[in-house]
Order: sequence, then C-alpha cells, then structure tokens
Amino acid sequence: MTRVFGDPIEVATAADGRPRGFVWRGHEYTVRRVLEHWVTTRDWWHERDLADMEPGEREYWRVEASPGRETGVYELRHDAVTGVWTLARMWD
Amino acid sequence: MHLHVASACSPRYGVAAPEALVRRAAEMGMDLLALTDRDGLYGAVRHVAACREHGVRPVVGADLAAGSGRVVVLAAGARGWASLCRLVTAAHAGERGRPAVTRETVAAHAAGLTVLLGPSSDVGRAVAEHRPDLAAARLAAWREAVPVAVEVVDHLGRGEAHRAARTVALAREAGVPAVLANAVRYLDPGDFPVAQVLDVARRGVPLHRSHLDDRTGHAYLKSPEEMRRVAERFHTPAEAEALLAATRELGESCVLDPGRDLGMGRAHLPDAGDDPYARLVARCEEGLRRRGLGDAARARLDHELGIVARRGLAAYFLTVADAAALIRGRGIRCAIRGSGAGSLVNHLLGISDLDPLRHDLVMERFLSDGRPGLPDIDLDVESARRTEAYRALFDRFGEDAVACVSMRETYRARSAIRDVGAAVGLPPHEIDAIAKAFPHIRARQIGDALRDLPELRQSNLGRARLEVVFTIARRLDGLPRHIALHPCGVLLSDATLRDRTPVEPSLLGFPMSQFDKRDVEAMGLLKLDVIGVRMQSAMAHAVAEVERVGGGRLALERVPRDDPATFALIRSARTLGCFQIESPGQRELLGRLQPRTLDDLVIDISLFRPGPVASDMVTPFLEARDGRREPVYPHPDLAGALRESLGVVVFHEQVLRVLDVMTGCGLSEAEAARRRLADATGQAEVGAWFRERASARGHDAATVERVWRTLAAFGAFGFCKAHAAAFALPTYQSAWLKRHHPAAFYAGVLTHDPGMYPKRVILHDARHFGVPVLPLDVNRSAPDWHVEPVAHGGTAGIRVALNEVRGISGAEVDRIVTARPYRSLTDFWRRARVSRPTAERLVLAGAFDALYDRHDRRDLLLRVGALERSAPRPVEGQLAFDDDLDDDLDAAGGTERIPAGELPPMTPGERVRAELEILGLDVSEHVLTRYADLLAALGVVRARDLPGRPHGAEVLVAGAKVATQTPPVRSGQRVIFATLDDVTGPVDLAFFESVQDRCAATVFGSWLLLARGRVRRAGPRAVSLTATDCWDLAWLHEEWRAGGADAVRRAMARTDPGRGRPVGGRRLFATGFAASPYSDVTPAGGAVGRPLWHTSGGSSGPLP
Repeated sequence: MTRVFGDPIEVATAADGRPRGFVWRGHEYTVRRVLEHWVTTRDWWHERDLADMEPGEREYWRVEASPGRETGVYELRHDAVTGVWTLARMWD
Repeated sequence: MHLHVASACSPRYGVAAPEALVRRAAEMGMDLLALTDRDGLYGAVRHVAACREHGVRPVVGADLAAGSGRVVVLAAGARGWASLCRLVTAAHAGERGRPAVTRETVAAHAAGLTVLLGPSSDVGRAVAEHRPDLAAARLAAWREAVPVAVEVVDHLGRGEAHRAARTVALAREAGVPAVLANAVRYLDPGDFPVAQVLDVARRGVPLHRSHLDDRTGHAYLKSPEEMRRVAERFHTPAEAEALLAATRELGESCVLDPGRDLGMGRAHLPDAGDDPYARLVARCEEGLRRRGLGDAARARLDHELGIVARRGLAAYFLTVADAAALIRGRGIRCAIRGSGAGSLVNHLLGISDLDPLRHDLVMERFLSDGRPGLPDIDLDVESARRTEAYRALFDRFGEDAVACVSMRETYRARSAIRDVGAAVGLPPHEIDAIAKAFPHIRARQIGDALRDLPELRQSNLGRARLEVVFTIARRLDGLPRHIALHPCGVLLSDATLRDRTPVEPSLLGFPMSQFDKRDVEAMGLLKLDVIGVRMQSAMAHAVAEVERVGGGRLALERVPRDDPATFALIRSARTLGCFQIESPGQRELLGRLQPRTLDDLVIDISLFRPGPVASDMVTPFLEARDGRREPVYPHPDLAGALRESLGVVVFHEQVLRVLDVMTGCGLSEAEAARRRLADATGQAEVGAWFRERASARGHDAATVERVWRTLAAFGAFGFCKAHAAAFALPTYQSAWLKRHHPAAFYAGVLTHDPGMYPKRVILHDARHFGVPVLPLDVNRSAPDWHVEPVAHGGTAGIRVALNEVRGISGAEVDRIVTARPYRSLTDFWRRARVSRPTAERLVLAGAFDALYDRHDRRDLLLRVGALERSAPRPVEGQLAFDDDLDDDLDAAGGTERIPAGELPPMTPGERVRAELEILGLDVSEHVLTRYADLLAALGVVRARDLPGRPHGAEVLVAGAKVATQTPPVRSGQRVIFATLDDVTGPVDLAFFESVQDRCAATVFGSWLLLARGRVRRAGPRAVSLTATDCWDLAWLHEEWRAGGADAVRRAMARTDPGRGRPVGGRRLFATGFAASPYSDVTPAGGAVGRPLWHTSGGSSGPLP
C-alpha cells in the first residue's frame, strides 16, 4: 500500500547526485536501484523574492531500497535551494 | 545540434531571439542548428542569416498544429523550402488565428519534407497512454503520407524517461529512424519563468501547474554533452550514441543553402516583359519631352540610367511606375516620400511630382552603385483609400504574386505588466491602473522609470509588493506578442512568391507574409511602401468640398508654389492642422525661421528632427540667416555644397557632396561612406579613409581635420533632403488650402484627423480664422464634415458631422441622411429608425435645436423616451406610413403630454458638457468660458496677450490641455511640453525636471489646468512659458465657489505633492500602489469616446 510521509531524512549521494542510501526514523536504508528520477520547478509566483531561480529545483527519486532483507519502493524529494531531503511516499 | 527549436518569433511561446540561439549553439561547438517556430517561418530568415554569420549550417522547419497535437516539419532543398512555405500557408487557410494542418495537407506538400513525430503528436500521445498498437497504427498512417522520423524528448519530467524508452522501441519495431530533440524554447535554464508566463498568457489563464507546458525548466538550449546525458537516462551509452548519430544524419540531410535553396542574395522581381531596360529608356525619353526638361536633365538622366543599368533594376522601376500609375488611375491622391524623390528617373516615370534638379537633389542617396539590395520607394496615398490601393495592386499583379508585409508587435512596459499581472492573479482593475501609470516605454525600462519619474515615485509603485511582476515583466522586453499587418509594405513579385514566403490572412483579410520588412529585403523581394497618410485624405476631402459648393476643380499639384499669402500664414506660425508644421516645437521654429520659399520649408522640416535639435544645428543656422553671423565654411571649396544652409550641414546630400569634393570619390562611394558614419567603428574607418584621400588631394592637415569634425558631428544626424522636399510639398499644399479655402480645409482636417491635436482644438482654430462652426443638425449635417455657405454671404462655415456622435452606427447615419428632411422629432423617430441612445445623444448634442425654438434639449430628451414607449415605427420592408397626425410635439408623446417649458432649460455649461460627452467637441461655447470669472479674478493672461509680455515676466495662464509631449531634448533631461488652449489661442509650456516633482502628476492627470510660468521669447513670433507651477483648474474652481478668491490663493499655496489632484485623495490598492481616483477616467466632461488631448509616447497617465 502507498503511504504518504513528509519526514525529513538524511541522504548519502553519489557524485552525480543520485541517492545511495538514507536514514529514516533511525533506520539505515541502502538504495538498490533507481526506478525513476524527475524534476519540477517550484511555484515561484507565490513568492516575493525571485533571486536564484533554477530549473528542476524540486527533484524526485523513486528508488528501491531496503533497511535489511525486505525491499520497498521509496520516493525521496530533494529541494535544491534548501538542500533538504524528505521522504515523500513509500510503497511496501 | 538541435532539430526542434522555437525562437521568440513564435509569439507568446519562444523566449530567445534567433540570433541568440545561433550564437549560443556556435559557442557550444555545434555546427548545425534548426529553427522550427510555431505555426510559421517567422524567424527563419533571421536564423539563416545568423547561421551564416556564425558558421553554423541552418536547418529550417515549422512546429505545426496537427489535429489536437503538433508535428515538426523540416525542409530539405529548394523543393522542401517551397513545400514548407506552401504548407504553412495552407495551415493558415482555415479560420484566422487557428492554424492547423492535417495528415492530408502535409501529404499534398510532401516533396522535400520530413515530419518529426514527437511527444505532442498523435503518435507520441498514444505512446504516453501506453497504447503501443494505436501508436504503431498512427505511425504507419503518417509513413504512408510523408517521410517521417520519431522524435524523442525528455525534459526530465515525471515519466518522461520511460516514455522516451517506449518511443525508441516503437521506432525500432517500425523501422523508422528515431531522433533526439529538446523542444527548445529558451537559452538559459533560468529563463523558464518567462516561458511559464507566456504559457498562461497565451491561454489567458493564471499561473498554475496544470496550465504550464514547461513544468521542469529543461526546455533550454542544452550542450551536446547535456544531450548525451539525457539520452543516457533511457539508453545504454552505445544506444545513446546511435540515437545521436541518427539525429545528426537527419539534420545533415536537411541543411539549407541560403542562395540555392531560399533564393537569398538575388532579386525576385515581377515579370516586366522583354528588354525592360530599352522600355525604361524610352519611357524616360518620353518623360523628358512631357515635362519639358532640357540638356541638364539629359546629362543627369544618362548618369542615373547608367546606375540603373549596372544594377539591373530596369524592371524594378517599370514595376513601381506601373503601381503608382495604377493608384493614381483610381483617382487616389499619391505622392512620393523619402529618398526616391531625388531621382530624375522617378520624376520622368511619373512616380514623383518633384523635379530633383530644381530642388538640387541627388540620386545617390536613393540608388548608388555600391549599395546592395533593392532601393526603397515609398508612396503616400490617402489613408481612407489605402486598402483600395492595395486591392488595385492585387488585381493588377495577381493574387498569388502580391502579399502584404507583416510586423511583430512586441511586449512593452504596459503590455508586459498587463500579461504578467494577469498571470500572477492580480485583480484586473488594479493591473489596469498600474499599467496606465507607466509611460509608453520599453519593458526593460520599468526599473529605471520607477526610480526616475516623479509621477511614479509618488504612486508608491516602487515600494509596492509588485517586485515579482516587475522582475518578470522586464524580461518580456521586446518579445513578439503577435504579428500584424505592416502599415504600408506590399510585396510585388511573380507567381513563385508563394514558394518564397508563407502567408497568412491579416485582420483585414489581405494575404500577409510571415516575414517582416527586413526579412523580405534579405529574401530579395520587391517591397513597395504604400503609406496611408491622413493628410492626403484630408486634402482630397477639402478639394472635393470646394468643388461640391461650386468652387471649381482644384489641382493642388499645379498651384503656384510661391504664393505670398500662404507663406505669410506659415510665418505667422498659426499652422494648426497643417502637415508637418503644427506641433508646438515646429511653430516655435517657424516663428524663428520665418520661411519665405519652398526651399525654406525643406530646411525647416529637416531642422526639426531629434538629431539637429540635439546637436544644436538650429542656432548657428538661424544666426547666419538673420545676418547676426557670417556663414562659416570649413573650406572655400565647400561653399557650393553648403551655401543653401549657410555653412551648416543639414542634409545627407550635403554630406555626400562634401565627401566627394574633398576626396573626389564620386557620389556613390560617398553614399556608402555616409551610411557607415552611424556607428563608432564605421566612423573610425571612414575617418581614416577620408583623411588619407583628402590629404592626397592636397588639402592641408588643419582643413582636413576641420571638415572631418563637421562631418563626424552632423553626418549621422542630417536629414535626407529629398525626403524633406517630398514632405514640403504637402506641407505647402495644406497651408495653401488653409489660407485660401479655410472652410474646406477644416472640413478635411476634421473628417480625417491627420494631425496631433484633438478635433476640438482644430474646431477652435477654425473659429480663430473666422470660419463659422455650424452645430449638429439632423436636417443638415452630413456623415462627414461639410462646407456650408452661410445665408448672409460671408465666409462659408463648417457643419458638424453625424459621424462625430458617439456610438452612432454607419447604418444609422445612412438612414438619417436618406430619409430627411424631418419636420419634427416624431417624424425623425419614425423614419430614421435610430436606436434610443443615438436619438438621445443627437438631442443632447443639439441636432434638433433648429427645429424647435420653444423646446429645450431637456424637454426633447424626455420625448425620446415617450416616443419609444408609444409611437409605432414601420417595420423594415413595410411602407413607411405617414399618417400626417398633427406633428406637434405635444401629441408625439401620445398619452404622455409633456408641455414645453416644464423643465428648467439646460444652462450653457450643461450644454457644453453634453457636447463634450457626445461629440468630444465644445461646439456651443468654449469649455473655458464658464471659468472666465475665476480667470479674471486671478489675473490670468490670455494666449492672445502673451506676445506683449516681456521676456522673463511671471504670469498665470490657463486652458484646456491640448497635448503633452516629452521629446528628446539637447540637455538629456525629460522635459514635459504641454500645450493649453484658452479660447484665444494656444499656450505652450515647458516643465523642466526641477518642477516635475510637484507638477508632473497634475500635468499628466488633469485636463483643465492653471499654470504659473516665466515668459520665454525665442524669436519675433515665438513665445512660450517656462512653467514653475500648475494646478487642476476644476479643483480651484470648486475652492473658489466654496470660499472665494482667498480660498483659491490658499489652495494654490499648498505645497504637498498631491495638491493638484481633484478632491478625493488617493486610491490605495492592496499591493500598496496609490493612484489618483481620477487617474483612469477622463477628467471633467465625463467619458468621451475620443481623446481630448494628445500624449506622446513618453507621457504617463491614461490615454485621454
């Protein structure tokens, strides 16, 4: 089933930006496979300061990852401006 | 390389100029780039030219709507280019503004074309919907019709990589090549907000994710390396390499050669028959005889014909002569403008009425040996009959061989603020107020304007929460919003024209090339500028009026060009309504220059230009002319060239002669040198060449340097004398009409509105010249302004036109004129069958005054309502019954009996107000009349009395604003020039920057003004004021009525910046933007359907 979170997570990334593993609620997850990667722009028109706008500032990685033996599908979100990673959704 | 790229020439879609895209591609090491604008070839010519400059091989295509999706069509070879032009034309053949092709239309033009089926094609959508069978079927159908390739695009959006992989698989299975593209819309990653604003502006919706084509910001011109990384998102490196190779292969097969394939670099003239040169010579010979010109003309003709022959342009001249004769043959007034007036060939062929020898004009400014491309001939025709002239050209040269030229309407400050404001969801009334607060400036100047202009500083705009709007609006600067019919350019060619340019219908239904005037020049197409000039229509109307009232048939072309009475009028500077010489600045110049001949007018027109004004050529010329200074010639040899302007370089032609005299280079080479004086690099090069050549001819170093300084200073600014001479003729003709047939002149000017002034000012000018103004009258007014002899045999008057009535329809005017005379309002109501609002407006504007002396307009107004309720009107097609009921007004209302005199009559002030609302004209009395007491109490000086005031005297003046202008002036300041009309004549005021903090908002925002200023006397007849203060007169009048003269003086002494505004304070918007509550309505007089004053582009505030 799908579950929606929004929890901040810590992510270890490779040189090209893809996540290799993350820590969520104290558990370590290893990324086995990247299923999909996509980006969106942010809704800048709701903001007052337009400095530093970049394309694809919201970055999504849908990955297969496992804390141990069981593998689940996790959607990680990365905000390029703040650098914050969150766990957006998971399927297990 | 990129195969799918939209430039900014795709209106409200692309963001980057074609040149910028090519330059960037070259910088990134690409040697091939396609341009595929949306629904047209709008940027194609610029793309090809830029590619040539940067060593990039050009590919051209179009991104066309096909069904509910889109496909990209690329052209290969001359055949492909012709197919693409005709396919784009076919796409626009349906409903205007909804271009689209079908598979069948593409199939019908398939030769040399390749279709790319990308994500937004029907094939791509089937792939996205996971329907591989449908995708394969659609792909097969396209393959039947035309060579195709599958286009893969991945903007890194959700699901796009998977879709790309499925797309490649589809192509592989079908055996169709797959290519990689990026559907580029902008140059840099950071440009995406502009594309997103354009997405919603195009659709007329606010910014929201669901309305965006671009949701990832990746539609930028990616480097080869970035494109490879995109391919590797869904491919192994080896597969990616294969995809890129296939892309390259298709690109290379579509590279176009500008000369061979597009036909650039040579002229494509209409077929002019056999041996056009021999026929041209014969027609010129015939012209020499007809015009009775002698040996000097023959030598000049031989010289000109030599150039024409060497340039191979005989067919060009024959074609233009043909076109001009065609237009004149329809009885349309037609005059040449521009440098073409300098050519004797044009004169002999009947294209120009001006004898270039008599006015000492040279041909080379128009046509010389050195200059590539076709020369430009511009024809001025009556504006009201311009489309008729176009029609004649289409009929003569053939529907397929003629097209109008287009132009791109681009974003400027106001339009950018409107679109961005709407995109971010500001309320419409607020957007409107903010946009109108700005003058007509470029969008990129928004930031500077907020900082620099006092009227904007006072509005809080800079502090308002509008930064997002202004930031993005600035970035829309110069982007095309849509294409429109160029006001004058017409392409004349042969039946292959449709192979050379795509056309789409203009708003008026004329076929319009998608190329603009620069594009068509690069494509070697003959463009004739047929310019609609209102003054030509005004003069035609005047001539017709003279004939109608029995004054005979005037031939303006044959009127003596040295009439003393006409020049006396011009010297008086009372030239409102005359061509070219009516603006306040021109009237001041006339006052100083005091023209006596047509050549003086030529100089006057040439001097009144930004360049000469900015470089102050005017003063030394006037000093020499007045004998206060000896003319100074940089070298005695130059006296011949510069004598006509007393040593000052005024004309381009003089620059040519000076260069020729000093270097012996000949006029053709001199013209080439003159053209290069415009920019710094060219000037340096020409300077070096000039010094060397002049020194070699034996001129000493000091002389060479002195002459060069003169050329460098004025060379780039001067004015084309041939153009000024061509303009001087209608200028003189209009002044001649004003002097000798004033009523007909005013009827023409009021009907066709050729000048800068609102009609009410022209109307009062007519009064100043003793022309009676006859009120609107249902039994006498014609559709247009008419001359009407007055009963007692004095000067003929002018009758207000029915077309002036706000909201009246052409059909109503026709019925009113056809069914008259009318005996009564009832009679009129039954037979003229106009709408109730029109009938009411006619009553209020006084159109029935002549029928009733017992009844006031207010009485009659009531009866219109009663008539509508009770009086039957014949139905269309039924015989109008005339039951001869006693047509007394009292009976007209049926049961509603309204006796005369029941209501208080309208006061004179109310009548004027009604006239201003309905006609935009104060007919019964001047609008200022009701303020006479206040003006007298304040000691206001009238325009008539200003010339008697000494220089420097401080005076108060008042009047209705006629015009505000902010022309470039020598100091670089923004000076606001305002003209007021105060019953006795115009008052000209200059507001310098030091007073604009307290005055600008009032000057731009109010209509009736009181101003204080110091008298400035610039010449014998030239008086203007340097303003120090101004107030809204209507507001002062309120104060006066409430508290008398003391209250007015107190009000005038207030110093807060908002004091000039009418009562009501300021309206504060949610964003913090503050505006006068009256800033978007026309002050005093209510909402008039037409301008009450003229504003130049630099003026802030609402369009009046």
